[in-house]
Amino acid sequence: MNSNSFSPARIWTLAAATVTQLVRMKIMAFLVVFCVIVVAAGFAFPVMNPEQQLKLLKDVSFGALQIFSVVIAIVSTALLLPRDLEDRTLYTILSKPVPRYEYLLGKLIGVLLLIGAGLVLMDIAFSAVLWLRQSLVLAQSVAALKQEGVATPEAIAQLNEFVGKQGLTWNIHLGVLAIFLKASVIAALSLMISCFASSTLFTVVISLLVTIIGHGQGLIREYFFSEGMNQIMKKMGSAMLAILTPDLGIFDVLDNVINGELVSAFSAGAMVGTAAMYVTGYVLVSHLLFVEKEL
Amino acid sequence: MPDSAPSPPAVTVENLTKVFKSGLGKQAFVAVRDLSLTVEKGEVYGLIGPNGSGKSTTMKAILGLLSPTMGKTTIFGKSSVEVESRRDVGFLPENPYFYKHLSGLETLLFYGRLCSMSGRDLQDKAREMLALTGLEDAANRRVAGFSKGMLQRLGLAQALLHEPRLIILDEPTAGVDPAGSRKIRDLIMGFKERGITVLVTSHLLEQIQEVCDRVGIMAHGRMVREGKLDDLIAVENETELILADASPDLLAEIRTLAESKGATWIRSGHSRTTLERLFLESTEEPKS
Repeated sequence: MNSNSFSPARIWTLAAATVTQLVRMKIMAFLVVFCVIVVAAGFAFPVMNPEQQLKLLKDVSFGALQIFSVVIAIVSTALLLPRDLEDRTLYTILSKPVPRYEYLLGKLIGVLLLIGAGLVLMDIAFSAVLWLRQSLVLAQSVAALKQEGVATPEAIAQLNEFVGKQGLTWNIHLGVLAIFLKASVIAALSLMISCFASSTLFTVVISLLVTIIGHGQGLIREYFFSEGMNQIMKKMGSAMLAILTPDLGIFDVLDNVINGELVSAFSAGAMVGTAAMYVTGYVLVSHLLFVEKEL
Repeated sequence: MPDSAPSPPAVTVENLTKVFKSGLGKQAFVAVRDLSLTVEKGEVYGLIGPNGSGKSTTMKAILGLLSPTMGKTTIFGKSSVEVESRRDVGFLPENPYFYKHLSGLETLLFYGRLCSMSGRDLQDKAREMLALTGLEDAANRRVAGFSKGMLQRLGLAQALLHEPRLIILDEPTAGVDPAGSRKIRDLIMGFKERGITVLVTSHLLEQIQEVCDRVGIMAHGRMVREGKLDDLIAVENETELILADASPDLLAEIRTLAESKGATWIRSGHSRTTLERLFLESTEEPKS
């Protein structure tokens, strides 16, 4: 076998080792914390109206999902490459017939697998709690209607429709997908930064900074490039901003999901396409930086 | 019928120069200057020199971990910049570290898979290497709990796993006790018998002397002496004579004869064992 050729098996070996490494670092303990938060948010504040109760549950759960994915994407990616270099594990790996791009891909895929698996597990827990809460809210509301003597079939159907819209829908999973896509972009970005960074701390700080700027890219454009600037300058400024930081605003569909609004197929497609573009771009730049890196 | 082309040497280093760029305002550091060496197939070549003489940089350039500023390096005729050149190489870095979360066996399986090994063959080979390096009992123990010597032996096991034709050992006995050190020396002797080429650096010159066919001495990034070990260490105008059960009278006679023939008597006395041999004889358990 020509070991110089692309080897999915080698990439998988590196990805699996990365997942094992992160799992054994007890990173997934966050899942337990998440479940506690979701259950607490799901069954607290019973005095609120049904809409508020379901919105609060979604709000808190999506918040926890976002924190989990962004923190894991930045911290775990920032840890991997510099640590392998500091520990000199990289020497023994790259002295085997392993092209450097396979090493990078393996590491990134490992982090994405971990985030993906974590999000799927949390999505299942979140969906179960949301469904339970939704059933409970519906039963309580129907009982209240009956008590008031206004439980007409039309009123119950209306209530069903309303609670259904705020409850468990496919939209919830699209929201989780948006979180995963955003985390993928941030992980690829952190990987790129770690290829030239001198330490884990530097990678974490810069990645966090770029992530924050990426979330506010729309606002920055609006504020800095609106008035008193000619079109060419505006375009150049926007292009520079887009190159230096990813536009993470495109993944912010969670408010719509929390408000029970549908995420269109176009939006979902745009998110997938944008994430693929950013991840590919960052991986390519990472490779160009890493292939020249002196070990 | 035309002769087939001669097979390339195991390692060639041609006019290698490596300069490390420094930060702004600082002078660049020249780690290796115009270094050339060749390691033939089946040979045990020792590269020695003080700290900072450029040995590790040379090894990294041979392995493609560093790109030369000038010159080139090859492994079995393939340029070190090609990933394919590393197919036939096993490398043990100085003070190796491995993923702490893996066990000894898992570590070997991981490295085996990177060398495109799999299945039963890999399992068997990994266990064989653990046995060879005396780590059978540590197969399922996490690497985080390994001693320095055990890490070194695990490093050797991963270097040998895919049966490479060339083994590069950077300070293989660093941090290893004399018994472990002797075991590594015996392994190197075993490689030599099996025709495996070895390129080794060590601070323990006695060990280099015991196992190497040829030696290169580096200082300040340059090769200052190179050649066959016997040629390098022989003192041409001195002769050694070792006798057993020689009486003082016999020694006096020999001395008189030697001096009468114009030779200078330098010294005589009891042969001495080495501290390593004494340590091993004192600490080895008697065989039942």
